[in-house]
Amino acid sequence: MGAFDALLAGFSVAATPVNLLWCLIGVTLGTFVGVLPGVGPALTVAMLLPLTAKLDPTGALIMFAGIYYGAMFGGSTTTILLNTPGESASIVTALEGNRMAKAGRAGPALATAAIGSFVAGTIATVALTLVAPLVVELALKFGPAEYFALMVFAFTTVSAVLGTSTVRGLTSLALGLLLGLVGIDSQTGQPRFAFGIPELLDGIDVVVLAVGLFAVGEALYVAAYQRRLTGTLEKLSGSIWMSAEDWKRSWPAWLRATGIGFPFGTIPAGGSEIPTFLSYATERKLSKHPEEFGKGAIEGVAGPEAANNAASTGVLVPLLTLGIPTSATAAILLGAFQNYGLQPGPLLFETQSALVWGLIASLYIGNVILLVLNLPLIGLWVKVLSIPRDLLYAGILVFATLGAYSLHQSWVDLATLYVFGLLGFAMRRWDFPVGPAVIGLILGPLGETQFRRALSISQGDASVFITQPISAALLALTALVILVPWLIRRLK
Amino acid sequence: MRRAAAELALSAGVLALGAGAAVGTALLPSEGGYAGIGPNFFPGIVAAGLLILGVWLGFEALTGRWRRGDEARSTFDKTPFLWISAGLFAQMALVGPGGFVVAGTALFACVARGFGSRRVARDLAIGVALALGVFLFFTRFLNVSLPAGWLAPLLGGAGL
Repeated sequence: MGAFDALLAGFSVAATPVNLLWCLIGVTLGTFVGVLPGVGPALTVAMLLPLTAKLDPTGALIMFAGIYYGAMFGGSTTTILLNTPGESASIVTALEGNRMAKAGRAGPALATAAIGSFVAGTIATVALTLVAPLVVELALKFGPAEYFALMVFAFTTVSAVLGTSTVRGLTSLALGLLLGLVGIDSQTGQPRFAFGIPELLDGIDVVVLAVGLFAVGEALYVAAYQRRLTGTLEKLSGSIWMSAEDWKRSWPAWLRATGIGFPFGTIPAGGSEIPTFLSYATERKLSKHPEEFGKGAIEGVAGPEAANNAASTGVLVPLLTLGIPTSATAAILLGAFQNYGLQPGPLLFETQSALVWGLIASLYIGNVILLVLNLPLIGLWVKVLSIPRDLLYAGILVFATLGAYSLHQSWVDLATLYVFGLLGFAMRRWDFPVGPAVIGLILGPLGETQFRRALSISQGDASVFITQPISAALLALTALVILVPWLIRRLK
Repeated sequence: MRRAAAELALSAGVLALGAGAAVGTALLPSEGGYAGIGPNFFPGIVAAGLLILGVWLGFEALTGRWRRGDEARSTFDKTPFLWISAGLFAQMALVGPGGFVVAGTALFACVARGFGSRRVARDLAIGVALALGVFLFFTRFLNVSLPAGWLAPLLGGAGL
């Protein structure tokens, strides 16, 4: 079955009234929660995961894809209208978008972000449709040794190579791996690090870790260090429509950004941070109005926002075809699959073809719904932004703890959540990246399983990892991404 | 030197975690069938990794290579930190006997207080409304069971 036929079959799944409804609910909730200041896509997905506990897998995952996309759209509204102190440096859209809003051009900034996200998201979904079957074909040739090598590669890039500090990235990863070991060993049934506590025998749920780090940790941090800093909310005045000049300056930026964002999303490069930054740098270089950059250049919003969305779609390629999450958000999405006993990977395309292609088809639909939700209804989301911060964080924590509590109906999960909250606080305070921990928790057990399977097949001969060509190449690549930056630094 | 105290303590924490993991690993069986490695192999690697990373972090803390974030300039405000912690502990204690709505309201009011709110009545009212809304939505619409606790007579058979 070609990609086109598969996609058509996918649309017949995604376009049923009930699945359309789940898609609509997903994108609406995703936008709503994504708009809330301080709530990123990873936390949005983690907080809304319990909603799907009793749904059928197809509907639930379609809803989840909507939440994932919606969170991206919602987040851009927040960065443009609200200059969140302490965060603006890391998000390039804030650089230009917030300046535009300050100059009374919030409307066009929001419009170029929304339309750009739609264009990039749709093109990237087409690319996903075309690329995914090819990767699946390649992935079917992968054995346990190849998977393990691939995971080592992903671990290395997300923790050691990206980010400000190798040692802190690796420490975060090691914490995630340690937490991933808690529970019953899938190969032998041996309980590990569970201390006889029944809630721990099930293993640490990714929702508890993500919500603990991102919601509880963040609330503790903001309250302790930034309580007196408040953002200024820009007013949405004037037309939201873009002028002919705006269009002319935006569309090349959208297309270039899609070209940058999608490929970066597909490789384990830690999600969308690098491509958004690259897109910003590219636009500044190519712009005919370089003097406007830093003062509110529309290309500087159009590019990074489109790159962000294209990369988020690109992330779905390794997630769906190989089962490898390359960002914290993708790791939580993988957790959602696992809740249904589904393991993303090449086999899922064969055994659950309707589900996977329905999910991909729903991305096309979700993008259209999001465009409608975000342009004409933008005024609604702006109101969400004016929720006072005390009530906002109180509400976030009530919702966040609900997710943890509903796992076993036990206060033990709430205690675990608090411990992760303290951990998240410390990691934020002393500058540890949080993503590697979440990825390590999800990917660690999968890596261990593949490693032991590979050794079982080779009867304990560890050379299997370097004698199989694909595995050897991946491990060599891993060594290169560690050694090359180190050598460059040495030679300088 | 004094400024590196917290960083050194964190390094020691990572070391202690590594040591704890090493002890836990030593108690695990090692026999592993065809693979030749057992359920203790990966825990051993992670424990070793944590020990190495603990030393490495300590080295960076001592040599001043640990880049400090902006927070070093603003002071740690312990009152809001304690209010939020108190809210979470109150919820842990109340959720079983008192039920989700009572525990959620207590959490809501404490966190709002931690973020500087002084309007206790308003916070309690919004907290009740939010927790009750979430409770009814989850129990009636999504079939996720949550404890009704003290409010069971009012909420009927909605919860556990």
